Amino acid sequence: MSEAFAIVENLRYTHWNQETPTLRGVSFSIAPGELCILVGPGGSGKSTLASVFNGEIPHLLGGSMEGRVIVDGVDTAVGLVKDLSQIVGHLFQDPESMFATLCVEDELAFGPENLLMKPDLIRAEVDRLLVEIGLEAFRDRLVWNLSGGQIQKLGLAAVLSLSPRMVVLDEPTANLDPRSTRSVHELVLALRERGVTILLVTREMDDFLLSQADRLIAMDQGLLVANGSVQEVLRTKGAELRDLGIWLPETVEIGLGLGEGFREGSMPVTAAQTMAALGSRGLLPPVLRGREIPPLAQAQDILVEARGLCFEYPNAYRALRGVDFCIRKGEMLAIVGRNGAGKSTLAKLLVGLLKPREGELTLFGKGARGWSVERLATKIGLVFQNPEHQFLTDTVREEIAYSLLARNIDGKAEVERLVGECLGRFGLEDCADMHPFSLPAGMKRRLGVATMLVCEPELLIVDEPTYGQDKQMTHRLMATMEGIREKGVGIVMITHDMRLVQEYATRVMVMSEGRAIYDGESARLFASAALLDEANLRPTLLQEMLAIYEAEGGRVEGRISSSEDFLAALAPSLRERQRSPA
Amino acid sequence: MSSGPSLILVDRDSYLARVYPLVKLGWVFLVAVFLFLFRSPLSGATMFVCLIALALLGGRVRLSRIAMSGRFILLLGALLMLFHLFSDPGQVAFRIGPFLLTDTGLRQGPVFFFRLSVVVLASFILIWTTDTRDLMASLAKAGMPYRFAYAVFLALRFLPLIQQEVDAVRDAHRIRGRAARTSLSHRAKLWGRYVFTVLINGLRKAETTSVSLETRAFGAFPTRSYMKEPIFRRRDLVLVAVTLALAGGLLVLERL
Repeated sequence: MSEAFAIVENLRYTHWNQETPTLRGVSFSIAPGELCILVGPGGSGKSTLASVFNGEIPHLLGGSMEGRVIVDGVDTAVGLVKDLSQIVGHLFQDPESMFATLCVEDELAFGPENLLMKPDLIRAEVDRLLVEIGLEAFRDRLVWNLSGGQIQKLGLAAVLSLSPRMVVLDEPTANLDPRSTRSVHELVLALRERGVTILLVTREMDDFLLSQADRLIAMDQGLLVANGSVQEVLRTKGAELRDLGIWLPETVEIGLGLGEGFREGSMPVTAAQTMAALGSRGLLPPVLRGREIPPLAQAQDILVEARGLCFEYPNAYRALRGVDFCIRKGEMLAIVGRNGAGKSTLAKLLVGLLKPREGELTLFGKGARGWSVERLATKIGLVFQNPEHQFLTDTVREEIAYSLLARNIDGKAEVERLVGECLGRFGLEDCADMHPFSLPAGMKRRLGVATMLVCEPELLIVDEPTYGQDKQMTHRLMATMEGIREKGVGIVMITHDMRLVQEYATRVMVMSEGRAIYDGESARLFASAALLDEANLRPTLLQEMLAIYEAEGGRVEGRISSSEDFLAALAPSLRERQRSPA
Repeated sequence: MSSGPSLILVDRDSYLARVYPLVKLGWVFLVAVFLFLFRSPLSGATMFVCLIALALLGGRVRLSRIAMSGRFILLLGALLMLFHLFSDPGQVAFRIGPFLLTDTGLRQGPVFFFRLSVVVLASFILIWTTDTRDLMASLAKAGMPYRFAYAVFLALRFLPLIQQEVDAVRDAHRIRGRAARTSLSHRAKLWGRYVFTVLINGLRKAETTSVSLETRAFGAFPTRSYMKEPIFRRRDLVLVAVTLALAGGLLVLERL
């Protein structure tokens, strides 16, 4: 303990506006220069814990705190925030709200200016940081005009401008496209190389970071449920983490599925490690047989069709540059692409919030200009990224009922019946009388989807369906959407989550710089490195594993789109091996 | 990334963007004073046209941006004008059904329209052409404690964020559809929720920003340094001088 950089001792904390503690006796330590990953399901207390190291708790956020937090020898309850901020930097979940200025270089100068550094020294520090995060070319750019990945990098650099010896990063890659996620992770590793102690809070474990992290800590309901080296935690507590709904890499899920014998010694984390381990144990058959590939929906079932669709905002930003696509009944179309590729603009055009100026957009057989938003709302549902924007009433129950009333379903008994059904379907019964704004983030999301699905739209658009959801709830949500898709409803999901695309999408459209550069099956997309590169995407770990398998002479038949499918495909060799263990 | 907020700095290389921020702040006050002195709608209209030209040429602000940001203000100005057209006492000039238009109303209506529109347009020009950080630095340089100067800055910094929030909530509410047979009180309640959502999310953002500032050593010392400070040049006063000459000339002309 004496060598630790940060020590948390029996920490209990209750927010000022809550009665039950968010942290309920947490103790652990982080060694200097360690890269520590903190995971846990939504509402487990991760973000609260992230706020204790630089004195935000208790100095700025109030509440009642018991126990001790020592950072670099300083008790945070005694130290001043201005001093602690030079020891520990904290990158918040929403870095855009952190920004104190309008322009990139001013943002980096803000901290050093507060510390009364001389202008020439500040300038040198800003130059150094711009090089470090790769934003030299964006020095004068307004922060509004940065992409999601650039905003995260700028936020991190702004924190680093005070030269802290420890940084706490709260979900720094939430909502980023896969390649931007990787580049933020590379930056994190470079910091570790410089000796900075790092605590990275995340919902989703990434193989790249996990394979290089020193420590893995898991939380649930305000308590630590795992703490140790990555390998130790994955081997001994992996199943527990999976059952908590934490997103584990597919490789780890496969490792857990193959039983203790497979992960003896170490748990493979990367695709290459997993394939090597499977190969050395003779578990890879010459042919991996997956599920049957469902046929694409037929052309006569078209709900929406666009030809040469363009859109330019009043500030001359050209978001769409001639997009051709269609959406058919009973398909689940994933729209993917880098941040700023035009996906959200397309969604707004589909629901009538924007009107096309060039090209054709036909919605349910009628030109888009002929539809009002209110009329279209009876046919299309859109679940926004921030569900709070959509809430209109004072209880969860009323919120669902409002959707029915808006569709002229107003018989009291009928409304009550449908609301009751919907509450059950989305696991919202226990909070039916709560205020929508007081729900945890995951439940808000579910309520957002519920308010749209209760009216049985012909087309449902969901922006980032997995945002803020643990794995079980994601699968429950997706199963519900699968159910309505099978009944003929068209589903469009706008997402960066390639696992979701791989597992659920019947078709995928890739957008890049306002154009659709691919429209087809997800398997073909993952096989094209050039396409992935152009759209800032990356294959999933499972796809990487299958690519290695095929490169080594294996053959894949059918569709393997989840770790469960992969395990099912390995089942014959497992049985074979059990029959002849030698 | 989409259209982005419309009330933000547009182009930091334009002529107006290079004018010392405090000079521009003073200029807005000057424009407001003259507009309250004008009695003729022609003077207000001339100023309106000149300010549009200034925004386009001196600030490199697109006409579409001006139209987008100014539509509500123009609407408000039009309502104010209508109010004066029909309510000011004087000789009856026209009769439209039960409504009477007086000669005073016909004169005062446009005066009030331009009074409101031009003052707001001048404020928008300040926002479109000023890096609010420079405004803060120049206020601090002029002797204002930097915590107060920063409060001015933050207010302007939050304007586009609130604008984005308003747009997002409006869009989201429209998509929910409209409940049929809803009473006026219910509709008022929905409007209340609109404001509530914007307010709650605005306050959350403000709280995050405030905590972030503290954790980045803001206020650690009684003073702070600046990597770059805006520099006052005499030629910045050209803006004030031209405005004085133009508005002064108009004032003299309407009193001849």
